[in-house]
Amino acid sequence: MVAEHERSLEVVDIPINMGPQHPSTHGVFRMVLMVDGEKCVDVIPHIGYMHRGGEKLMEAMDFRQGIGYCDRTEYLAQFSAELAYVMAVERLMDVQVPERAEYIRVILTELNRLSSHFMFMGAFGIDSGVFGTSFTYAFPQREYLQELFEEVSGDRLMYAYFRVGGLAWEVTDNFVQRCHEVLKHTQQGIRDIDELLTKNEIFIGRCQGIGAFTAEQAIANGLSGPMLRASGVPWDLRKDEPYSVYDRFNFEIPVGNYGDVYDRYLVRLEEMRQSVSIVEQALEQLPAEGPIVAEKLPRRLRTPPGEVYAKVESPRGEWGVYLVSKGGDKPYRLKMRSPSFCNLSALREMCLNQFLADAVMILGSMDIVLCCVDR
Amino acid sequence: MTLPDGQEPEAKPEPGAEQAADAAASTPEAAATTPEAAGEAPKAEKPAAAAKAERPARPAKEPEPKTAPRVAPPAGSVNEAVAAASGVTLGAAYLVPDWKGESVAVEVSRDDVPAVLTACRDDERLDMKLLRCLSGVDWQEEGLEVVYHLYSLSKKRGVTVKTRVSYDDANVPSVAGVYPAAEWHEREARDMFGINFTGHPDLRPLLLPEDMTDHFPLRKDNPLQEIEEWQGENLREGAGEEEE
Repeated sequence: MVAEHERSLEVVDIPINMGPQHPSTHGVFRMVLMVDGEKCVDVIPHIGYMHRGGEKLMEAMDFRQGIGYCDRTEYLAQFSAELAYVMAVERLMDVQVPERAEYIRVILTELNRLSSHFMFMGAFGIDSGVFGTSFTYAFPQREYLQELFEEVSGDRLMYAYFRVGGLAWEVTDNFVQRCHEVLKHTQQGIRDIDELLTKNEIFIGRCQGIGAFTAEQAIANGLSGPMLRASGVPWDLRKDEPYSVYDRFNFEIPVGNYGDVYDRYLVRLEEMRQSVSIVEQALEQLPAEGPIVAEKLPRRLRTPPGEVYAKVESPRGEWGVYLVSKGGDKPYRLKMRSPSFCNLSALREMCLNQFLADAVMILGSMDIVLCCVDR
Repeated sequence: MTLPDGQEPEAKPEPGAEQAADAAASTPEAAATTPEAAGEAPKAEKPAAAAKAERPARPAKEPEPKTAPRVAPPAGSVNEAVAAASGVTLGAAYLVPDWKGESVAVEVSRDDVPAVLTACRDDERLDMKLLRCLSGVDWQEEGLEVVYHLYSLSKKRGVTVKTRVSYDDANVPSVAGVYPAAEWHEREARDMFGINFTGHPDLRPLLLPEDMTDHFPLRKDNPLQEIEEWQGENLREGAGEEEE
């Protein structure tokens, strides 16, 4: 037996708790990091702090009421979430959406992608140590977009503007002009962010070579959206399974080479430029007049029995809605496949053998919305 | 309040309600004497139901089907490739609506799930490397269902794999080893439906509190709080009044 004073140096892994109230977890998220020195040897994420049983609640709501709940789930890409839900119902009911409504949906969804990515740029800059500077550049731009959404829908955050079969009401008279005005600000905003971050030495030092995922790893872990494309997989639902009128626009799908945190930033930045281009094309093609709601739609929506999996490319990835109906005016089962949830499930694998400080960057690069993780 | 005939029985069917409605429709006198059976009006609205009973009862609509008609996929569909690749005898295969056109759903027995999904992932003809969604569905007396949505990035097509288990024996082999993406989805399905995924590396509650292992909120035998149901019902009142 070794005497107490003779034992060798003891080495233990130390658990470090982070969250649920922590500025770098982007919401109510907690992870326990087991560290060996500075390196993470295990990561245990804890989610569910914001779980409200949304899927159960939506079973009690009819198809019109459910739209409002989509906003509350994905509160940074509300139009994408609404679009997936109404698309699922429309597919089951076999409703044809008028062209003008489709174009307005695309315009708003793409502008929403811009506002969501501005949010990411601001928050991610803070994670990387640029402190508040990125926020002060990104947020005024997001504000212009939100003002436009407010003009159209009447609400700053919870738009509930899409309806099964079309839109709630006609857009404002100066909608096209306002979109062009906002796009000017947006393009300036993208240039600002680009100049502020892309070649910033601190930012590059914090981002490059961190949390890299190969394409195989990314696909196996069910990543989607910019996270997947940063790993070099050119998969975008807008191109690969085009919905709405996305097949009528020319745009590129940016992909990364290394799959690291820096690539995810670059992919999102380029996506913003592509979104501007899509909105410009859509504004050009937008029919000046026409109905905005499908004809002969009953006030009380009823679907035939059946099931459908509708999916859209939200700013965070594939937002899917698996809707099962037994007939009637409410869903029998509704599963929201949230991209934040699926991307976050890869956090452990991504953080292994990375520095503790880099775990913050990896989490930030996922651009999660905790409401959408927990539902 | 005017209740169109035949509307309420579809919303909340009760045993025998449809036969009663049929009988009431064939004999208007019977409808006058038993308004509850004809319109199945809630108890609180008896005066309205009585006033309505003075009108001659319209013939009841045919009850809507509760399940979609199953259309077999055409020859050469993906289900044949799945069967060939996995060497497993599949259950029923049918078309389900996809965004454009249809995709194929196949039912398999639960013990075949890992074999079928492994074949889907590895076989060159299928090459379905992406598990895009995994959902639980509670079909009440018909058991619990697990639905896997698979997709091939190279072939640009997907397949829906389904398996059913009973409440008493709600065990499904885990596919977390085949698709790491399934790990959290399976934990969520266990939380919400009590489906036990055997062989799962870590089946602790994910979204629910860690000690909440005996209560499965998304099962249909868990009613919502009264206030939540009330909100739904109350808002729905009058929502469809103008039409239908």
